[in-house]
Amino acid sequence: MDGDGVILHVNGKDHRIASASRRLLLHVLRDDLGLKGARGACGIGVCGTCTVLVDGRAMSSCLMLAAQAEGREITTVEGLAEGEVLHPVQQAYLDHFAFQCAYCTPGFILSTIAMLDDDPFAEQDAIRGYLAGNLCRCGSYLNILRAAQAARDSRGQGAGAS
Amino acid sequence: MVIGRAVPMLDAGARVRGTLPYAANLRLPGMLHARILRSPYPHARIIRIEAGEAAALPGVAAIVTRDDFGPGGLNPVYGSARDETVVAIERVRFVGEPVALVAAETEEIAEAALELIRVEYQELPAVFDVFEAIKEGAPVLHPDFPANLLGHAKLRHGDLEAGFAQADEIIEETYTSPLAQQTALEQQVAIGQWREGQLRMWTATQSPFTVRREVAHVLGLDPARVQIIVPPLGGGFGGKGNVRTQPQAAVLAWKAGGRPVKLMLSREEEFVTVTKHAVTIHIKSGVRRDGRLTARQVEVHWNVGAYASSSKHLMSAGMLRCIGPYRIPNVKVDSYGVYTNLPTAAAYRGAMSSQGAWAHESHMDSISHRLGMDPLALRLQNILHDGDQFATGETVHDVHFVRCLEAVAAPIGWGEPFEREPAPHRRRGRGLAVMMKHTLSSSRSECALELDNTGRLTLYTSSVEMGQGAHTALAQICADELGLPIAAVAVSGPDTAVSPYDTQTASSRTAFMMGNAVRNGASALKDKLIELAAPLLGGSPEGLAAGHGLVFIQTSPDSCLPYAELLKRSGKGTLKAEGSFQTEGGIDPETGQGVATPHWHQGAGACEVEVDLDTGKVTVLRYHAAAFAGKVINPELARLQNDGNVIYGLGPTFMEQMVVDSGQILNANLSDYRIPSFLDLPSELGSALLESEGSQIHGLGEMTLPPVAPAIANGIYDAVGLRLPDLPITSEKVFRALVEGHDGR
Repeated sequence: MDGDGVILHVNGKDHRIASASRRLLLHVLRDDLGLKGARGACGIGVCGTCTVLVDGRAMSSCLMLAAQAEGREITTVEGLAEGEVLHPVQQAYLDHFAFQCAYCTPGFILSTIAMLDDDPFAEQDAIRGYLAGNLCRCGSYLNILRAAQAARDSRGQGAGAS
Repeated sequence: MVIGRAVPMLDAGARVRGTLPYAANLRLPGMLHARILRSPYPHARIIRIEAGEAAALPGVAAIVTRDDFGPGGLNPVYGSARDETVVAIERVRFVGEPVALVAAETEEIAEAALELIRVEYQELPAVFDVFEAIKEGAPVLHPDFPANLLGHAKLRHGDLEAGFAQADEIIEETYTSPLAQQTALEQQVAIGQWREGQLRMWTATQSPFTVRREVAHVLGLDPARVQIIVPPLGGGFGGKGNVRTQPQAAVLAWKAGGRPVKLMLSREEEFVTVTKHAVTIHIKSGVRRDGRLTARQVEVHWNVGAYASSSKHLMSAGMLRCIGPYRIPNVKVDSYGVYTNLPTAAAYRGAMSSQGAWAHESHMDSISHRLGMDPLALRLQNILHDGDQFATGETVHDVHFVRCLEAVAAPIGWGEPFEREPAPHRRRGRGLAVMMKHTLSSSRSECALELDNTGRLTLYTSSVEMGQGAHTALAQICADELGLPIAAVAVSGPDTAVSPYDTQTASSRTAFMMGNAVRNGASALKDKLIELAAPLLGGSPEGLAAGHGLVFIQTSPDSCLPYAELLKRSGKGTLKAEGSFQTEGGIDPETGQGVATPHWHQGAGACEVEVDLDTGKVTVLRYHAAAFAGKVINPELARLQNDGNVIYGLGPTFMEQMVVDSGQILNANLSDYRIPSFLDLPSELGSALLESEGSQIHGLGEMTLPPVAPAIANGIYDAVGLRLPDLPITSEKVFRALVEGHDGR
């Protein structure tokens, strides 16, 4: 696209962003597209609260310019459920009480999805390591671990395999 | 039974869908964005502020400086001690203090405007250390407090000198905790809108009514003309327990004349907006050779920072939280709150208890080692039992410290042999700790209930949902009392225009205080239902009962009417009732004697740690926590509180410390100020929730946190014989202590 604009492919749809130069993907998602599941909490890519999937990989949208995301497949937490039906990883988080204030939850869910794509049989230590890039100040980690394991296991049975 | 059941959070779906409407997400039509110009100096006189150029910048809608305040106008002063100002008036007292406020079309324009505001300062000498600050000749922050002493709370119980005279051993130590930050992931945020002489504000706060009072005070309004709406919080942890950004957002909104203004802090700004109290605790105990404590003297210096906020109350609360849950006949505590040129301190999850338990529980281990006694045995010998007297003069009831300690000692295998040297350069040890705290001694919770003729009930409460699951637990209590399914109960609030008064969501008081208000409200609603039903079912109200969603005749329960049917047949669309719960108490500031609490919060922790002798790295292999819950409302949400406390507590134990140089915070970001991640967790983490038949509901928001640091430090002592007096316990500190062969004191 010409000049200052970009076309972003988000959650399966193209969005024309008129003024995108020098703007972070996080801000475009939140302010232009109203996708508030990605949240800025540290601004320097260490807390994982702004995680989105870019071509299936978990990325910090606070460290990425919107222009860098052009032509790539962006998935936010809002793109996971199909109507009333939650994504299996969302459902696992819900079933296992894997959140408190839930500010970090979309980031964890998206990182879990990326992890299971990367390593479908991730063992406990691998899960802990992979999800260490997301911080939960309320300290729901044990339940998050259980949710990630449950999502892994149900996926192994074909329930949520993609 | 809906009580005791693991009901998912009422809005669990929105939480995993990412659609929860945090204040941080709110965008209103025509909304302006606010930024704050902050002081670069820790202490300086403001000579001149020139904001004309900034005001002329296209896109700037409002600027606020000290010139906006004056006789007959807005009131710049706010805060519990009325010592904070919306912007600095005459002086700045810490690096980061607001000096000017800008609201503009975009954040970028607001930032650019800040660059154009010229402020001329005259630097003044500053003081950061509490002991420097109380010395004669130290720079004075507030003229009304010439010794920089915000307050001196005292506890006098028994005869201290006689107690020390009876002792065989006297052990005296000093422990410190550093400046730290609450670090809720959602930053402080307030959106204000001024309309027809009224202010409406959406904000992330734990204290909607305190915010309403202070904002009304600043704007010179009747509080009824200020409406505070609190969406779910992205974490609070005490950092949102008092007035923070709301007066600034309110004044900007007033000046912007109708356009909404959003003020949301950056992560860096969080660190200069609210902190945990840094503290130095000097603790001295007398003990008989058999382990009986005869006397304890504690001297505490809390660094309150530049402004009081709630520190006057907290330093008094902290005084009681430095003693420990022990039967000590002679106790003297002096608790000092000291002003310094640092950001304002406030509650940090486990407020004052964490700092207190760090001292008294490390100290208890030092005593046990001096006596050659087992640390658990020493505690059990002195621990408070029902009917014992605490240092406040209160006779304690419903205390279960022994059970708490046993519940953590057993899974650790306390007293059993274990491998102390798993590898040549690794040593293992075990430690434990216990805590006791009071909640607010006098406070009030009110609620309103509205039942409609479809059988749905709405509970209006000003208790803040900040992830702890308060709204879900309150809905369970409500559903239980009325015999309704949980799905029939909705929770609304806080909205000060709609939901009734509550003191605040803090000090783990909500489940107990608001829980009782809800029970009382539900009970009042049942009375009204019975009154309505009497003419329809026949018989007197005395012969009727309500429950299971029905009103029925007690002697023939088949004669009954469902609530919805009852309302319809009575021609009512809705039926309303109110509930409230109040506690009274207080302690004498000169003696510390009185009523500290309606009941005592109790918790314990035990662990096994491994110390790497080559690097100083400490690994927590196993940690077990226990809290006294009285009655568990929701076991899953309760366990999340217990676990979350321990994990949160690993932060101040191992990593959290704000590094300050000449008043400048050097690590105001989440890269240099680390909080616990998945990699910091013990491999094994267990938690127990203890109940007791007939007990009150006890809050769980903090109890397993304060024992974490001392339990781990006691484990390190057990492993390598080093006592580290200063938090956090970094690998570097442990390594240096190992190399130097002493504990750094």
